[in-house]
Order: sequence, then C-alpha cells, then structure tokens
Amino acid sequence: MISRVADSCFWLTRYLERVDTLARLLEVNRSFQLDAEMSSGDRWRPLVVVSGSEELFLERVGAEQIDDAEAVQAYLVWDEEEPSSIVSSVRWARENARTIRETMSVETWESVNDVWLWLRDRATRRLYDRDRDAFYDHLCKQCMLFHGICYSTMLHEDPFLFMKLGRAVERAGQTARILDVKHHALGDTAADRETTVDAAQWLAILRSCSAFEPFFKRSAHVLTGQAVARFLIFDRTFPRSVLHNLDRARGLLLRLQAEENSSRRHRSWEVLERVRGQLLQMDIEDVLDWGIHRTLTWIVDSNSELCDALHEDYLDPPIEALRFAARTAGNPSFHPLLATPVDESSGSGQAQRQG
Amino acid sequence: MSLSNTPRLFEGYEPLPGTFDEFFGPDGKPHPPVEQVVRLLNELDPQAFRQRQKLADTTFLRSGVTFSVYGKSTDTERIFPFDLIPRIVSATEWHDVERGLVQRIRALNLFLNDVYGEQRILAEGVVPEHMVLGSKAYQPKMHGITPPKGVYVHIAGVDLIRGDDGRFMVLEDNVRTPSGVSYVLENRMMMKKVFANVFRESRVAPVEMYPTRLREAMAAVSPGGGSEPHSVVLTPGPFNSAYFEHSFLARRVGCELVQGSDLFVEGDRVFAKTTTGPSPVHVIYRRVDDDFLDPQWFRSDSMLGVPGLVRAYAKGNVAIVNAIGNGVADDKAIYPYVPDMIRFYLSEEPILEQVRTYICEREADRRYVIEHIEELVVKAVNEAGGYGMLVGPKASQRECADFRARVAADPRNYIAQPLIELSACPTSSRDGVGPRRVDLRPFIVTGDSSWVLPGGLTRVALVKGSYVVNSSQGGGSKDTWVVGEPPA
Repeated sequence: MISRVADSCFWLTRYLERVDTLARLLEVNRSFQLDAEMSSGDRWRPLVVVSGSEELFLERVGAEQIDDAEAVQAYLVWDEEEPSSIVSSVRWARENARTIRETMSVETWESVNDVWLWLRDRATRRLYDRDRDAFYDHLCKQCMLFHGICYSTMLHEDPFLFMKLGRAVERAGQTARILDVKHHALGDTAADRETTVDAAQWLAILRSCSAFEPFFKRSAHVLTGQAVARFLIFDRTFPRSVLHNLDRARGLLLRLQAEENSSRRHRSWEVLERVRGQLLQMDIEDVLDWGIHRTLTWIVDSNSELCDALHEDYLDPPIEALRFAARTAGNPSFHPLLATPVDESSGSGQAQRQG
Repeated sequence: MSLSNTPRLFEGYEPLPGTFDEFFGPDGKPHPPVEQVVRLLNELDPQAFRQRQKLADTTFLRSGVTFSVYGKSTDTERIFPFDLIPRIVSATEWHDVERGLVQRIRALNLFLNDVYGEQRILAEGVVPEHMVLGSKAYQPKMHGITPPKGVYVHIAGVDLIRGDDGRFMVLEDNVRTPSGVSYVLENRMMMKKVFANVFRESRVAPVEMYPTRLREAMAAVSPGGGSEPHSVVLTPGPFNSAYFEHSFLARRVGCELVQGSDLFVEGDRVFAKTTTGPSPVHVIYRRVDDDFLDPQWFRSDSMLGVPGLVRAYAKGNVAIVNAIGNGVADDKAIYPYVPDMIRFYLSEEPILEQVRTYICEREADRRYVIEHIEELVVKAVNEAGGYGMLVGPKASQRECADFRARVAADPRNYIAQPLIELSACPTSSRDGVGPRRVDLRPFIVTGDSSWVLPGGLTRVALVKGSYVVNSSQGGGSKDTWVVGEPPA
C-alpha cells in the first residue's frame, strides 16, 4: 500500500489512543482527588507533565493555575493550540482519516467523524459542564467503538495492520508514561515504606489503564508499587501492558514481512526484537534496581526509536532506496542514461503529526 | 383530491414569468413526464418533507459528503446544499441530448488530436490559428505526443441549460478535470433512502454504473497491455475543495488515491512509494491541473506534481486521464467554433444547439459588447466557478464600466453572451416551494467508446432570482431523473 496512506493509518490510531488515554487519566484524576489526602500541588501538575505540555501550559496559562482542576482540564481537553489536547488529537485523528477515506470502510470513517462532530457540538460543551464523567466516558467508549468497527468492517490486510500497529506502539508508550505519573507526583518508589497516599496513587494508575479488576485477578497481587509496575510492564495477557503491546507489534511486523517477497532488512524489526528481548529477560527486581523512572524512560525512548525505524521501513522510506529498488527490480527497459535528474522537492500535504 | 386539510407541497407554486419551468406548463399543469412525481410528492405533507430534508442534511454531514472552502481551516467544510425535489427529464428528450453529447465529445477529441498533430483545422482556417495557439491552455510542449488510443477527453462534463423555449443547449464544455459526479451518485443514494416509494414508482434510469464505466475506460487506455493495470487517482491533497470527490472516486473505482509526493519517476517509468517498495503505475486519473503536473515541464514551483511525469507520458509508459493540454478545447473563446468543428471533422450538423457568443477579440463583436454590456453576460475565458463574470442586467453601473475597461484592455480574455432565462425548477426554501434556476452537467466517459451518464448533476441557484448555480456562490444540487421509456 502507499506509504503515506500507511502512515495515516498508523497515526490515526495513535491519535485516538491518545484521546482514550488522556480522557481516562483526567476522569480518574478527578475522582482520585476525592480519596487521597495529598497536597493539592501533586494533583494536576503530573498530568500536564506526562502529556508533555508543561512548558506550553506555563507559557499560555501560567504557573499559578497548574494545580487548578478546571484550568488543567479545560486546557488538556479544549485548547486547540495545545498539540496534546483532546480536541487536537481528535482533530488530527479525523484529519488523517479524511485523508485516507478511500482506504477505510464507510463505517470506520463515520465513527471518527462522529467523534469530531460530537466534540464540536454545543450540546457536548454543556455535557462537559454538567456531567464531566459522562463526557470522558463517552470519549473513551467512542475510541473503543472505533476499534470494534474496524475489526468488523475492514479487510484484515495492510491498512488494518498499520492501524493496529499504531495502537500497539502508542499503548506501550502511554502505559509507560502513566506509570511514570507516580514518579512525577511522589518521586521514585520505595516498596518498603508505602503510605496510604501511595496506595491511592497506585490505585488511580491502575484505573487509568482500565487495569483495576484485571490486576486483582492476579491473586498474589497486593497493592504495592512493585506489583503494579510488574503488572503494567510485564503481564503479557493484559491488553495495555508494555510487553503485551510489544508482542502484538511483533506479530503485526511478522505478518507485514510475510507479504513482502523481498528479503530486505527491516530496522524496525531489529529495534523491536532488541527491546522486547531485553524486557523478556528482566523481571521487576531488575526494574527496581535500575529505578522505575529510568526503566520507563528507556521504554519510552526505545518506543520512539521503533517509530523512527517504522517510518524508514514502511511509512516514509528514503527516496534513494526506492529509486535503487526501482532500477534493479525487473525493469528491463531501464537505461541509466535516460535517468532524470533527482529532484528532492516533494510536497507534503500530509496531516500534521507529532510524537 | 386531498383527504386532509394540510397544504400540499406544490400548492400556490407560481412559475417564473418568461422562463421555462421544469415542472409546470403555463396552464399550471405538470408536464406529462413529471405528473407522477408531482402526485407522489404531493402526498407528503410539508412537515414530513422538511423532516426528510433534515435527515438528508445530517446524513451528508455525518458521512462527510462535503467540500471545503478555500483558505480556511478544517472547520469550514460545508455540505453541498441538496434539494430533495428532483429535476426530471424524459427519456425521449434525453435520447437526443445523449446523441448530441457523444457527437460533441467526438469532435472535441478529434480537434485535440488535430491541434497537437497535423493542425489541419488551423490550416484550413476553420478555427483561427492565433486563437488556438494563443490560448493560455494550449500546451506547445504536447505537440507531437499522442495519448494512448488517441483519447484526450476520457471524462467530460458538458454544462447544459434550457432557454425560455425549453430546448437544451450547451453553455460550456469542461474537458480538463470536470467535477461533480460524486454528488450525482451520493444524491441518488440519498433519494433512494428518503423517498424510497417515490423513487420506486418513477422508473428512474440508474446512474450507479459510472465507476465501472470509468474503470473500463481507464483500463482501455492502459499502456500495460493485457495485464491488470495499476491505476491511481492523483489529487492535490486534502486541502483541495474537491478532495471528497477524489477520495470517493478512488474508493468506487477501486484504486489508490495518491498525492504527487507518493509517486516518483525512475527510468521514465512511474512508480508509487509503497510499504513494500516501488510499485509501477500505468494509469493516472489526475485531478491536478496541467501546470502543476510536472515541475520539470511546467511550473517549477509546483509541489503537487511528479518530476519527470511528462517524459514518462511522452514515452508512452503511463496514461494520463484526462490528457495534458485539453484546456484548449474548452477555452470559452474556442467554444463558439465547436459547431464548425463538428461539421469539419464529422460532416454532420450539430445535434445540440449552443448559446450565441460574442468573441471580444473580433472588432465588430467587441464594439457590440462594449455598447450593449448592460444586456450581456461577460465571462473571462479561463475562469471557472462563476468567477470573473459580469451579469450585465443585474450589475451596477460601476461594475459595467469596470468590465468595459477590462474587455477593451484584454479582448482575447473575454467573451459575451446574451442573458439566457435559465429554466427554473420547483425547489424548497424557507418560504415553501418556489422556482429556482437550474443547469445540468451530464458526464461523458470515453475509453474504447463513449458512454453518457443518464442525467447528471443538476445545479440550482438557491438564492431567489439568482442565475449563478456554482457551489462557491450559493448554489446547491438536485438529483436528476431520466424517466420513462427511451424511443426504440
């Protein structure tokens, strides 16, 4: 399939995953405030930090508001100039979808367009004011609905695979980031001296990953930072754990490679195998030795390395490699002397992306 | 006749004076082909009618059947206003229109072959040489390059209007990248959805085979020979106002939608950049204008095109649909010569009439135009979308003076026509159903032979009294129904 189209498939689901994650984080954080006895300074700032929005928030809203529940939510939901806000992510998800409408099923397109139209509706703004939980809840459900609709209405071939790949990669990174909220709220964990505030914080993290009940199905689990981190990083059956999503990404890359009839080298495969292999050899003791924050930072960085490699291999391959392949692959009438001068000025009408 | 007291949809409808009404004769009775539809629509009470209109609007918005307004952000996508009252043409009348369109496209295609080849028609003085070679749309670099099977005009949209006598005539030809067919198909789908019973009983000629005909035409001109061609639709990108249509066509034809940056040329062959490497491309249905197609040949600042594309085309390695340089055939100043082209190439009389046109470059015509500008419609020859146009009878003194000066300064760039009282069709508005002026754009697809989509896009000037049907200027659309049995 066309690389740019694959790129849009990949980014479409990444943006939707960001919407889902951020909506749940905000919803959980609101109710979390009711439970824990924390200084208010720890309540909202971490969300701004993990969204990567601290600098822009300070500049556009101001330091005095960074703990203010309403100010932070208004900013992270509605601010159109904040690239990580929900409204921005929905806009870019929808823009990517609009660009590749011919690739998606009608139902899939409509489900993205619906979220966008819903968010632009004045009635939604009133819902946000009146029943915040219902607002966040609707967003999360719409994102999940999207995946269900994809699954049931699209051909399970390349566009679908790239959508799933985008979601897996984004989820692995998001779970690592959410786990890191704790670090930004309370500093690195020390398993032997956890307080009730810690426990409440861990509970909130589980709920932010829809992991509350799944976590307690693991009978040995008591609510400690160590157990939560182990679950969210290593549990291969939990659909939002880091390792589960790397497993998925691996399966998807294998399928994509199987369809190719060349034996070219894929850097993305190498990066993924390295990171995944390393995680498989680690256990939670190693993570604690190394430091949770450090481990999570490594996961997030490896994740962006993987994304770069995916761009190089599939989504935006370098033109020189393509030209070389075009010259060499079954093209008998090619005369090198006729080659036109290389022109690198290729326009980019692509939807913006960041991450 | 009516069982209840609610007002009927067409109650109190008054046709415009001096204008052909698409539904009702001067005696207030519906034309025979329209009778049944009028009866069926009259069975709906206006309340139910309004509900269906609302349903249609929200469905279009939800499914993103929109066009974007230039220079604005994503928020300014609009639905193309759609009026639920169909426009109706009898199959008998359509039969002649169809023959006339095929004849016209044959002639225009021969004209393009000639202009970029022998130039017989210029040598014999049927069309003045300087008008053709001096046209902004003439591409001298295309001279001597023959597209596969000699087809230049694969897709044409010919704008037809009816004057006060009700006869169809050609207003202009569009043989570059005519748009609008996606709305024909979407409108039809909508009518089936909201007016299932009216539709079922009216025996309307289907339009749904358009994508298949287009695919066949594209395959017919593929240089790949017998093997399955790799076809793509080339779009300027999602910011183009017709992006919805580009995406729609790719989806329905079953090919990929690409932007210029998705393609590259190596060894005079065109390839697409895919996730598994380069993939050869054989047919490009481009919705990018000539000047932007290839920065090596045309505008070097173009970011939309593919460097080297024209070389690949010239070598016969790729088919470009429509061909490059077609604009010389639909130049508004060439239009007056089309009847002569038909006589010249086909030795036939034109089946379709066209509008009397003054060519401002001719001195006598120019003098007439300048003296009578208040009675005329003046058009810049290379503008579309209702821009660069003066409707004399509706314009102010100042606007007329301005156009007089423009015509005097650059006569080659202007033509003028008498104001035609475009026919009107009952159309719903806030104040009930009233007459609004319409035109019709049928689509003609040509591969091995020509095929005409039954009906076409009816555009309607939604503003009361307006003559301008363009979507960018307050126009909407209607479904067009060809009804009844065609003559044997």
